[in-house]
Amino acid sequence: MAGQTRYVIIGASAAGMAAAEAIRAIDKSGPVTVYSDESDPPYFRPLIPFLISGKKSAADMAMVGHGPYRGTGIDVRLKSKVAGIDARMRTVSLKSGEEVAFDRLLLATGSSPYVPPEIDGTGQEGVFTLRTLSDARSAAGRAEKSRRAIMLGGGILNLKASFALLERGLKVTLIVQSPQVLSQLMEPDDASLIRDALNKAGLEIETGVSARRILSGSNGVNGVLLDDGREIACEMVCIGKGVRPNAAFVDSENIRVDRGIVVDQFTASGAESIYAAGDVAVTVDPVTGGRIVTALWTNAVEMGRCAGFNMAGKPTAYGGTFGILNATQVAGVSFVSMGIVHTSGLDYETHVHESRGAYRKLVFSPDGERLLGVLLLGDISRAGLYRFVIREKMPVAKIKSQIINHALHYGHFIRT
Amino acid sequence: MPDGKDLNVKSTDPAVREMIVKAAKMEVKTVWDRYEAMLPQCGFGDTGLCCRHCLQGPCRIDPFGDGPTEGICGATADTMVARGLDRAIAAGTAAHSGHARHLAHALLKVAKGQAASYSIKEVEKLRAVAARLNIQVDGRSDNDVAGDVARAALADFHEKDTPVLWAATVVNPERAKVLSDLGLVPRGIDHEISEIMHRTLYGVDADPVNLLLAGLRCGVADLAGCYMATDLADILFGIPHPAVTEANLGTIKADAVNIALHGHNPLLSDLLVTRAESRKDAAVAAGAYGINLVGICCTGNEVMMRHGIPACTHSVSQEMAILTGALDAMVVDYQCIMPSVATVAECMGTTLITTMEIGKIPGAKHIPFTEETAAERADEIYDIAIANFKRRKGKSVDIPQIKTPVVAGFSVEAIVSALAKLDANDPLKPVVDSIKSGNIRGVCLFAGCNNVKVTQDSNFIAIARKLLKENVLVLATGCGAGALMRHGFMDPANTDKLCGDGLRAVLRAIGEANGLGGPLPAVLHMGSCVDNSRAVALAVAVAQYLGVDTDKLPVVASAAEAVSEKAVSIGAYAVAAGLPTHVGVMLPVLGSELVTQVLTDKVKGLTGGYFIVDLDPESAAEKLLAAIDERRAGLGL
Amino acid sequence: MTEPREIFVRLDRCMGCHSCELACAVAHSRSKSLYGAISEQPRPGHRVYVEAVRPDTPVPVLCRHCEDAPCMHACIAGAIGRNEEGAVITQADKCIGCWTCVMVCPYGVVGRQLEEHKAYRCDRCQGRETPACVQACPTKALVYRSVRDFSRDTRKTASKTMIVPQGG
Repeated sequence: MAGQTRYVIIGASAAGMAAAEAIRAIDKSGPVTVYSDESDPPYFRPLIPFLISGKKSAADMAMVGHGPYRGTGIDVRLKSKVAGIDARMRTVSLKSGEEVAFDRLLLATGSSPYVPPEIDGTGQEGVFTLRTLSDARSAAGRAEKSRRAIMLGGGILNLKASFALLERGLKVTLIVQSPQVLSQLMEPDDASLIRDALNKAGLEIETGVSARRILSGSNGVNGVLLDDGREIACEMVCIGKGVRPNAAFVDSENIRVDRGIVVDQFTASGAESIYAAGDVAVTVDPVTGGRIVTALWTNAVEMGRCAGFNMAGKPTAYGGTFGILNATQVAGVSFVSMGIVHTSGLDYETHVHESRGAYRKLVFSPDGERLLGVLLLGDISRAGLYRFVIREKMPVAKIKSQIINHALHYGHFIRT
Repeated sequence: MPDGKDLNVKSTDPAVREMIVKAAKMEVKTVWDRYEAMLPQCGFGDTGLCCRHCLQGPCRIDPFGDGPTEGICGATADTMVARGLDRAIAAGTAAHSGHARHLAHALLKVAKGQAASYSIKEVEKLRAVAARLNIQVDGRSDNDVAGDVARAALADFHEKDTPVLWAATVVNPERAKVLSDLGLVPRGIDHEISEIMHRTLYGVDADPVNLLLAGLRCGVADLAGCYMATDLADILFGIPHPAVTEANLGTIKADAVNIALHGHNPLLSDLLVTRAESRKDAAVAAGAYGINLVGICCTGNEVMMRHGIPACTHSVSQEMAILTGALDAMVVDYQCIMPSVATVAECMGTTLITTMEIGKIPGAKHIPFTEETAAERADEIYDIAIANFKRRKGKSVDIPQIKTPVVAGFSVEAIVSALAKLDANDPLKPVVDSIKSGNIRGVCLFAGCNNVKVTQDSNFIAIARKLLKENVLVLATGCGAGALMRHGFMDPANTDKLCGDGLRAVLRAIGEANGLGGPLPAVLHMGSCVDNSRAVALAVAVAQYLGVDTDKLPVVASAAEAVSEKAVSIGAYAVAAGLPTHVGVMLPVLGSELVTQVLTDKVKGLTGGYFIVDLDPESAAEKLLAAIDERRAGLGL
Repeated sequence: MTEPREIFVRLDRCMGCHSCELACAVAHSRSKSLYGAISEQPRPGHRVYVEAVRPDTPVPVLCRHCEDAPCMHACIAGAIGRNEEGAVITQADKCIGCWTCVMVCPYGVVGRQLEEHKAYRCDRCQGRETPACVQACPTKALVYRSVRDFSRDTRKTASKTMIVPQGG
């Protein structure tokens, strides 16, 4: 094996597996070992709500053998939690006591659900965060014995979990601290179409309140006390309040941690031969120029691929990603949110158009010359063109009316 | 080079196949080559979802809903499809009635003594038609009556106080009432055509049902045009009676001056036939053994029915007659003449002669025909053909040695007189009794063309075979008749093997009573496409005999390989007359669910007739039989 | 082994007739015939889009099956892969309708089947010798060639058009 580069990747989700495949695409022989602290082989994490609804099995979510993930020559070690890294000695120590030497190391440890400490009783039986397949299995088990679930947090993950539980026949109440659902992805005024659809779909939503305490009895959770004094009975609680990077294990003066692991544009940390990608890494938003951490699968893959290419010797710059970049469909309403979409009180040139079943908001720079953000609800067709326009910072003068009227198509890029 | 399989897809006619191979060898493009080059065809046109009625267009509606769902003016798919169909009906009506009007002018000239080459051949029919039109006959000269009939015919074209007489007086009173109640009695043939053009104009009629009713009324005007054409042609050229002749390319003769008569109107072609004998000497002097006239399409049917002139081929295979290399001239008038014949004629040394002011073709020699100068023009045509023969003489030709015996010419009058041999006092009785007994399960009329999208003749053959075995009396006109004649369906020798027991017995009884020493042919040739009127006349006579309306009769129609807009207008009047009417190629209506439903179902509640659109001949035959049986049940049979 | 072929667009030839769209929808219908497809529910969608920049400048747009296909890497369900001929294929049974591919496609050519909640896109008509859109194009604005053949043809045409006017 002399002369071969030994690649070690910590984390076997989006960034880790994408990096492994990228390395393999360039370096056909250097051993690639991926360590995962989970007991399930790599899976498409965003699919876990389907385990709760029963629409997919864990096997249906496997990464290897699907999409671009071939898994050829990639050694995935499960149930292997990393205890620490020694950047100078180029070794990784596992909880099991094993020491692993590397030539190139990728930190793709992802993120963990944030559980607000101000809520009492989050440790009770029947309280869940939905991050892993194992979490989803437990939640599904509890759902079988539950009639009502309370969901803390109004983000996408909680909405998806809510629908999974609704499909199982539970009564579901969403407790949202913000004045509206999906506040990370749109402003309250933008969300009314979705809110109506959620209500129609049977989801109960309480906005502007938060949970003070999770109540429990001998069978675990039996209710939630809200900060307005109300008590709602339930048998299970899901907390969906965002995630935080898993960077606590990093203990090296050369690797800077600021919320997440800080890397340069080639995804390299300050320590030689050590890279970071995915939720754990701090990246740059090309729209705002700000340093951000994101928790989006798509970003993690893109960054992981970059890291993989860099590790295998093909310098590849990572252009960063929008802090907001999300597409999905809830309660029959599809939407795409990208770039800067929170504009109230700010100086952006904003165009809003509302029609039956559709809503869109186009955000331009104050001088009107660049597109900065797009929110599409209902009709999201050709949304990728806007992403392109935003990311490439294209001057929009010639195509502005098409953008505003959602009439942009690829032809506008090649024929004028 | 087309291989066997390829040929099988193009035509079932072995003579045509020989010529397809020859065309490929010579690299002469034919209709099948052009069809292949055209594939795939535009789906918008195919489904009726393309509109070019205004200069804001063309508009196309996306049948799959991703694109536009209405035209620029706001016309929906239903409106667009209905408007398009209406225009096709109007075009078909214009053609049939144009043919009729041409004959009406000729009859008027005869009456005035201005057309020396023509005369009144059927005084009886003239008087019968006049009587039907309420024109005074007694004590008047033939020319006077003919003048009035001609003027009545011409008057039927424009809007006037009375309805179109050739529509109102040719159907049974019950049907007249149905049509009148539905507002389907035309007020003038040209008026209906013109009104269709008006209402389908940008920004007029957008109501699909209203448009379709107007289309049906125009269809009734088409019946008038067809009926008039038949009546006037019979008066001028004689009522057809069965003639023994033959069909297919084998009727072309290498050592004769071969002239193909192609198109529709008997005005010129009949004259060419009657003058042939006088030109024989010139042909012989040129080295030919004589003059050999052969027919193509409905001109062919007209001269076959009245003079026993053989038919060399039909419709989609018209180019193949020229490809033999043995045609000295092809004389055409109008309708169904592919412009490509000029190119093929040029390749093969045939002179293509156009004769009508409205039908010129680049590459053809044009000899303007008028009734006044008919004889001179006819002789001019003979001179050209004979001169051409001199050039061709001795050169090799490729005439497929394939031809089939044909007995053709079953006008209503001929059928009635044949039946009279069984029961002189009550000639319809034997046929009606056979229907009642089930010996004749029903009647099916085959009409229309050969469509390049269908293996030539295959739909006609498959459906006719099935229906004959099931004892359905089969009538045929136009190129539908042409298809069946080339495949032996009009050869009495085949009657026994083609027909079921009951039908065989009926055809045999009529044949023997008429001294034929055998049965009638399995399929009765009723004439050209305007002669679909003869089938209507027969249906009306049977309906009146039974005392029921025509929509109660076990009578169906099939345009199994339709091409022309004329087939669409014929279909419209067949439906208006109450007949289940099969079309074996797709009408451009599928883009509108509403129009499709009205045509294939809802209209049944109005006229009793409806369209059966089915591209599969086997299932089409089943549907036609089911429609016949439904009607038999309705009559308590 | 034959080189993989791609669908190329010759913009100057497009007449804007939309025939490719119809043929595409029919090819992706259950019945595979226009007459059948027209009444299918859900309606079959087409995956080629004839757009217009101005009334007289039609632009057929369709999936380029990108070498670095953003949709494939972005897919959160593993539903998008590349087949042996190099075509990027969306596997309907794995698609969950999250529309991430719609969000990242820089050509805007991923369609959404709303009734079945599935994304769809050009699959170069797997199983057909020539893609339906190419076959349907009356002016051959769409061609199905290998990259090498297409660029060679383009060069030939270019040199011809340069030579002919000079030659006479």
